[in-house]
Amino acid sequence: MIASVRAELLRLGRWPTTWVLCGTWLVLNLTFGYVFNYLSYRSDDGGGGFANQVSDGAPASTLLAQLMPDRVPVTLVQGMPMFGGALVLILGALAVGSGYGWGTWKTVFTTGPRRVTAMGGTLGALGIMLVGLVVVSFILDLVAAFTVAAAESQPTTWPTLADSAQGLGAGLLICAMWMAGGVMLGTLTRGPALAVGLGLVWSLVVENLLRGVAGLLGPLETVTNVLPGTAAGSIAGAIGAVVQSDPNGTPGVTTVLGGTAAALLLGGYLLAFLAASLALTARRDVTT
Amino acid sequence: METAIEVRNLVVERGKRRVLHGLTCSIPRGSVTGLLGPSGSGKTTLMRAIVGVQIVKSGVVTVLGEPAGTPRLRHKIGYLTQSPSVYADLTVRENARYFASLYKGITPADADNAVEMVGLGDAANQLVATLSGGQRARASLACTLVSRPEVLILDEPTVGQDPVLRDELWHQFRAMAAAGTTLLVSSHVMDEASRCDRLLLIREGALIADDTPDLVRASAGTNDLDAAFLHLIRTMEKTGVAS
Repeated sequence: MIASVRAELLRLGRWPTTWVLCGTWLVLNLTFGYVFNYLSYRSDDGGGGFANQVSDGAPASTLLAQLMPDRVPVTLVQGMPMFGGALVLILGALAVGSGYGWGTWKTVFTTGPRRVTAMGGTLGALGIMLVGLVVVSFILDLVAAFTVAAAESQPTTWPTLADSAQGLGAGLLICAMWMAGGVMLGTLTRGPALAVGLGLVWSLVVENLLRGVAGLLGPLETVTNVLPGTAAGSIAGAIGAVVQSDPNGTPGVTTVLGGTAAALLLGGYLLAFLAASLALTARRDVTT
Repeated sequence: METAIEVRNLVVERGKRRVLHGLTCSIPRGSVTGLLGPSGSGKTTLMRAIVGVQIVKSGVVTVLGEPAGTPRLRHKIGYLTQSPSVYADLTVRENARYFASLYKGITPADADNAVEMVGLGDAANQLVATLSGGQRARASLACTLVSRPEVLILDEPTVGQDPVLRDELWHQFRAMAAAGTTLLVSSHVMDEASRCDRLLLIREGALIADDTPDLVRASAGTNDLDAAFLHLIRTMEKTGVAS
């Protein structure tokens, strides 16, 4: 297993796609978490200009408070239910799907380690990269927040350890769940394109449409309340991200579920996606 | 000579079509055996059965004394698929090192040696996507060779290679066999047959010859392997029995 993790880390580390996707997330996280809000705060004229459009009418003091270091755990997580999740889903789907696309799994599965070990190696490598990505995001957010606080002569209050752990844990859980979803789709479809397409349509379109319809059809609401996106949005909402419907709210953030329920549901989806990927990979072995 | 691969009464069906019809053969250890036959004759299916990725209807396939596909064989067998199995968005060296790191005791230097062996030393840092078809096939071959397997199953490894490179690759294959590796090399090019220790001639899922090149030629009464193959096919068509 260690050899497989090492091999996959080597591959994913050298893979331009990995850096494009991780870089995109970091840029989006900083842009929507700090740049736009700070520009909005700085240009706040109390009228209906740029500031008011970006902040959706939120007062300038609220905007500034959201940019302070003690809010970093929340800022880190708020973009993950939708945008961060979609990006890591793509990474998971491509990491597995491309092996089928290029035929490399064929060689690995026949002459390398056992199938489950090989897939476990990919999952392990993706997990390590995910931890790195979330931690780097957290550090960059801290740097951005301290920069804003210094520029605005605000007190620099570090986020508490408990809040930081909560934010990092929630961020990891959300991203791990979406990434595992991508891995499962890549395994299921045995290719990158369909896996990415289906994953994005589900995470960005279908869940939102279902939530819209659920307002009209009561029984459907029971289902939409336990969908992966709802759970991801709920955990972000539970730790303090502004819900989508509020002024200056973040797309995908909701409070449909409580924090514990959302975390349990996310954990369940994560385990189910991982188990399905491993089981499917093992099941296709004609020698077992 | 000790047997490396043993195939007994192998029957394979794909869909409703029978692809291999009770095929029996054995391949000696430390030899180069050519698997020759026209496209669609069952060469790849036989190779897949030996590697252990083909569902078989009946029959027995053993490799190094173990049932084909047994997990213990995975580190002892190398399989080059017909279409290159390499990541196009990594370089040749990165691909070889990726496969090297899957195996215990195989170093990055071994990966670099494999790249040199297939004549891609100068293109080692080139992205696979930018290589020609023949180079891509050699990059895939390097990834197969990197683990130094005891048994090498090579599905048309010389397709798309120029005569000089084909000659170099065959010298490599001979050197590996001399060092104890067992090679099964498929081709539909008859002029490669004379480079093998033994030939398996396959047509429509049945073996029509299993012998040394010299004896195949002698049995057909000709010095030309192309002509010998045609003679064997016509004899089989007339009698309905492989000679």
